[in-house]
Amino acid sequence: MKAAILTDTTKCINCHECVAACKKQNHLTLDLPRRWDLDDGLSAKNWTSVVEGPEHTFVRKQCRHCLEPACVSACPVGALQRTKLGAVVYESSKCMGCRYCMMACPYGIPRYEWQAAVPYVRKCIFCYDRIAAGGQPACTEACPTKATIFGDRDLLLAEAHDRIDKSPDKYMNKVWGEHDAGGTSVLCISNADLSFVFGGAAVGAKPLPATTEVAMGAVPFAFTGVVACMAAVSWVIERRMKNGKDESNG
Amino acid sequence: MDRVRKLKLALWALLGLAASVAVTRFLFGLGASTNLTDANPWGVWVGFDVMGGVALASGGFIVTATVYIFKLERFHSVIRPAVLTAFLGYVAVAVGLLFDLGLPWNIWHMMVYWNPHSPLFEVGWCVMLYLTILLLEFFPVPAEEFPRLASIRSTLIKFRLPLVIIGIGLSTLHQSSLGSLFLIMPYRLHPLWYSPILPVMFLISAIGLGLSMVILESHFTAYFYRRSPEVNLLASFASACRWVLLIYLAVRFSDLIVRGQTSQLLIGNWRTGLFWFEILVMAVIPIGLFSSVRLRSSQAGQWTAAAFAVCGIVLNRIDVGGVAHPRPNGGFYLPSWTELSISVGIVSAAVLAFLFMVEHFKVWEQRPADPHANPLWLPEFHPVDTTWLGIPGIAARTTYSLAFIVATALGFGLLNVRAVESRGVDPTPVHRARGGEILWIDGNLDGFGVAFKHVEHQKREGGNESCVKCHHMNLPRDKGSACARCHRDMYLPSDAFQHDWHASPSGARIACYQCHAEGEARTAATAAACDKCHKDLVPIGALIVVKNYRAVAYTEAMHRMCIDCHVKKAREKNKPEMTRCDWCHKDRRDVIDSRELLLRKAGLMGENVVLPTREARK
Repeated sequence: MKAAILTDTTKCINCHECVAACKKQNHLTLDLPRRWDLDDGLSAKNWTSVVEGPEHTFVRKQCRHCLEPACVSACPVGALQRTKLGAVVYESSKCMGCRYCMMACPYGIPRYEWQAAVPYVRKCIFCYDRIAAGGQPACTEACPTKATIFGDRDLLLAEAHDRIDKSPDKYMNKVWGEHDAGGTSVLCISNADLSFVFGGAAVGAKPLPATTEVAMGAVPFAFTGVVACMAAVSWVIERRMKNGKDESNG
Repeated sequence: MDRVRKLKLALWALLGLAASVAVTRFLFGLGASTNLTDANPWGVWVGFDVMGGVALASGGFIVTATVYIFKLERFHSVIRPAVLTAFLGYVAVAVGLLFDLGLPWNIWHMMVYWNPHSPLFEVGWCVMLYLTILLLEFFPVPAEEFPRLASIRSTLIKFRLPLVIIGIGLSTLHQSSLGSLFLIMPYRLHPLWYSPILPVMFLISAIGLGLSMVILESHFTAYFYRRSPEVNLLASFASACRWVLLIYLAVRFSDLIVRGQTSQLLIGNWRTGLFWFEILVMAVIPIGLFSSVRLRSSQAGQWTAAAFAVCGIVLNRIDVGGVAHPRPNGGFYLPSWTELSISVGIVSAAVLAFLFMVEHFKVWEQRPADPHANPLWLPEFHPVDTTWLGIPGIAARTTYSLAFIVATALGFGLLNVRAVESRGVDPTPVHRARGGEILWIDGNLDGFGVAFKHVEHQKREGGNESCVKCHHMNLPRDKGSACARCHRDMYLPSDAFQHDWHASPSGARIACYQCHAEGEARTAATAAACDKCHKDLVPIGALIVVKNYRAVAYTEAMHRMCIDCHVKKAREKNKPEMTRCDWCHKDRRDVIDSRELLLRKAGLMGENVVLPTREARK
């Protein structure tokens, strides 16, 4: 199974039950307004938020749990991992705090504990222990209007297209997350353009780890190439100099 | 004082300033010591200290390649300073990284936990290995002075060629991989900088920077030690540098054309301006100056052009590292002075180490000496400066220490309270609730208030006797103290105890010994408990227990008091609990017109604020 969340913004009433449930589940304490906050409501102590867009559209913002996550490919110590179920989880004991994941994420999701002397990266972890035990994340469980639901990704995609097909005048004909950055586990359908929250217009279908793969794949060849080249040049020049000397001597 | 002395004095002072910031950085974290935000997680410590530092140290592999691979023996005299600069540069990068990493004590994780997909993993490994190689390449120089190390020295010299070759391979890799780091951020880096061939451009510009750095460093030390720079040798480097920069320029612009981003070049925003400025400083001006044979053979021409190239290419690294990233919320990252002082301090330390090495070991054919550093000299009885500091050699050290300490103290003075307390948030003062029957509770005046039916609560809870239920810890002779008296900050706990008032002759007139016993340190820990005197301060029947005299934040206090009580009552009556914010925060911004809100925020209406009644607001 590939776990996924489908959010239907037309059903969201902005009650913030998902936010409250997330805080409770992950033992997140009171959040203070900080200098380093973005204005989207996410922070090291707020792993999900509800963002208000045009036409009174309320959209949940959280980690998208990409199928090919840029953060996982970027982390030099493998502290971020994508599990079999599809949750992108964080192992704080491995982290060394380089913050490359924050730079790599196309959605700007991971947040940092800037206030702490021992800081960690924080983001939604898809309630990994709950879904691994066969349950569902705290946020989808708490939603009173079933605006955000949990299930298998293929089934949810079919459901999303079904809803769009049934009432084409209600929804925009697009499932956010179906192809973005190679597809994400958090899907969204809406009556309005959601690029303001997902960077949908900017984020193309190409999975981001592929961008560095070419360069990283060239590394062994570049190294052997340069080393062999240098050794050869050095040998040739040395030989010529020796020959030159011999000739002049002889 | 001669030039070297002045330089060292300045460097020690800068190092002292950085030392104070370093304490803040490690005690209070990155939030307190940088201007980084969730939108800009990388700043000048990555852009300059790491990316700029690695590129600045590229002179080492270029000069070793010139001499040991291409066998151009006439450049032999610049090899030792170049390798030394590279070694110190990489050490500086490692130190800079320790400041920038959130968990620097985990830096060794890179060796144990592998993720070969990550460009940063590759950069980390290459830097570690190359640092070792540079150490082995340079070690024979100091080893000359110690006869016991002769065998190690000769072994290292025997293996010099393979070391140099591997060093060149590693340098090629990580100089380019620093560019690969940014390939994964096509949506973050501006199209004028983002390119799939960023690694190639990084490598070419690093070579240009390495050549310029050799030139600049030679002139720098020549000025301070009054030695003559190797002008003729450096002219060849200048010529090579010109070609490298020309290739760079060609690659960069053809890349823009191929990617179809040329339209970006003429947009009149600050990023386009930055791009052109960068191109001008890093390439166009140095190429122009180095192209003239007369200029590149003259001292002034050499160091001016090299300085331009060095500044320009480092600027390019800083731009790619953080400045040329569009901000999602329109914010703008400018490094704080604390960040800059750490960067400058690391460079100062590297320069001081360089000066130490050239004075004590044979980096050049002729070892320059600090003329006053010989401790065997007799004291000079100079009437103004040196006499009281001892003999000249000691005097210099005393002055350096003094500069360091004074600068550290200055740094601690400059660090603001917010940085030291690591709050990252301004204290938000609480304002008194106002109103008769209905209290308007909106401590931070943001318009999201609660209309609290005070009289109704009072009646329901049992009249005048019920004040104690909510107004715990009343002040003496006070029935209902305002919450804001003690819960003074919206978000942060504040001290409810007023020491000054207790000690003041116009206040409680309590002598020190009445609270702090004789012979004990006068601290909060040894003071008498408050309830020794204030026996009736926490009234019997108060809902909230006071554990210490540190008042919790206003929001927390209010929430705890209202919510806890309501939830309890609701459970008793089997009614729904108040779980949603707008249960109480019904009165939103749209109720109070924005003009009034603005005025209230500015505090213009002060005490005369007239609040809409509950009925009027409906």
